[in-house]
Amino acid sequence: MSTTPVTKNSDKFATTPPRRPTSADIELLALAQSAELTARDLYEQAVAAGAGGDHVASLVAVAAHHDAYAQSLSALLGTDAPQVRNDALFSSLQSGFGSDTESMALAAHELENTLVVTHTDLLGLLEGTEGAALVASILIGESRHCAAMAALAGKSPVSDIDLFLTTSDVASLAPQA
Amino acid sequence: MNDFNRDELRRALRGTADHRNDTFGSIVEATRGLNFARSLSRRRFFVAGGATVSFAALVAACGGSESTGIARLGDAPTPNELVEADVTDIALLRTATSLEYNAIFVYEAAASAGVLTGDTAEIAKRFLDDHRAHAAATASLTESLGGKAYTQPNPRLQSIYIEPALTLIVGDEANGVPATDDPVADVLALAYALETIAGATYQAYVPLLDDKSLRAAAMGIGDQEARHAALLGVVLNPDRLVSSMGLSIAAEYQEDTDTPAAAYASPSAFGTQAPVPVTLGAANESGIRTTVNLETPSLNSMVYEYLDAEG
Repeated sequence: MSTTPVTKNSDKFATTPPRRPTSADIELLALAQSAELTARDLYEQAVAAGAGGDHVASLVAVAAHHDAYAQSLSALLGTDAPQVRNDALFSSLQSGFGSDTESMALAAHELENTLVVTHTDLLGLLEGTEGAALVASILIGESRHCAAMAALAGKSPVSDIDLFLTTSDVASLAPQA
Repeated sequence: MNDFNRDELRRALRGTADHRNDTFGSIVEATRGLNFARSLSRRRFFVAGGATVSFAALVAACGGSESTGIARLGDAPTPNELVEADVTDIALLRTATSLEYNAIFVYEAAASAGVLTGDTAEIAKRFLDDHRAHAAATASLTESLGGKAYTQPNPRLQSIYIEPALTLIVGDEANGVPATDDPVADVLALAYALETIAGATYQAYVPLLDDKSLRAAAMGIGDQEARHAALLGVVLNPDRLVSSMGLSIAAEYQEDTDTPAAAYASPSAFGTQAPVPVTLGAANESGIRTTVNLETPSLNSMVYEYLDAEG
């Protein structure tokens, strides 16, 4: 059942946008890297505080995911990568990432939604396809985190289904076009 | 075993096979013109004449009316002109719509057969509504770009993934395929794989789309597909929400197995383009069940605009 994968190198493609990030893209991807480092630090703080219960391993894994996103963005940005978290964002969310699993999971759910909205907005701004492809793959991971955090908060996939499926009305971190 | 209506599912399968045959009729038509009949008759001539035909006689038999002075053997078939099939934004959107209709087909078939009940039926109903909304959105985007929306399941994906998967679930007595022992688990597993592939498809289209605003719109839908898959991951594997496979984390947080579970809310850090395996159907005499690998639509699965002209 194997089929030929679609690749950008195919001569079937009529036009080709730039592959590498443009100078404007670099600023946007740098913003994304700082946001990912912030998320990693918030999850690590929650684990250190004792949140997670039986699912602490899942929180550790999600922290590792955000670190992986930051590393991948760093690889794309090279020396332009900021390599530092967004301190203002960290401070605004820090109190939610404490020891109580339910409230921490709801704070994490909102954070993941914020990242999804931010990355969706970035996709409408990025020119280079390498940066866009990376952001899209991060976005898929964070969409799934939203559902995982809803479950960790003890919400029902049936009676609370919107918490699992609907992108909540949160502010984007991306600059508006 | 759940008492669901296998005949309903079988009827749905027959209906989609008829449609697929109509669509691929145009492709079959395009391959006609190769002179198979003439090649065959010449081969028969050799058989009838045994091995005594001389080289000179062969040259004489194969030559055309105009001599180039170069001996040749056989008639070259007239080459068919290949259709130019660019992967345009319209083709990508049409393919995305077709994939939504594949999902709609599965959820409608499962609903009409009564496979899912209670909570899982409610979840499937919500997913069905979402896929109908996604199909309407991608169809609208297609038309806004001046294209013609495609409003059928993707014929190739239907034939290589959906029909074999549903056959494993409902069985096919004529071909010796027994029905599955657990249709609910199999339908949920198929749905998990389908939703994962749907999200991966929109992700794969991001670097292929020329229009930046379309990338964001596509991932707005891809986000929802990924959440569908994650919710099913919660239902199928509530004890481990996030996989630790492939992560450099402390041993105490690693799973106690080298084999990943079939489903997680979050199976990996990044959205993956890898095939998604789904194990379905009854076990054979060795206790082995069939695994179908679902993949994102490839070049030969796309719903190019020229297919409409030939249909």
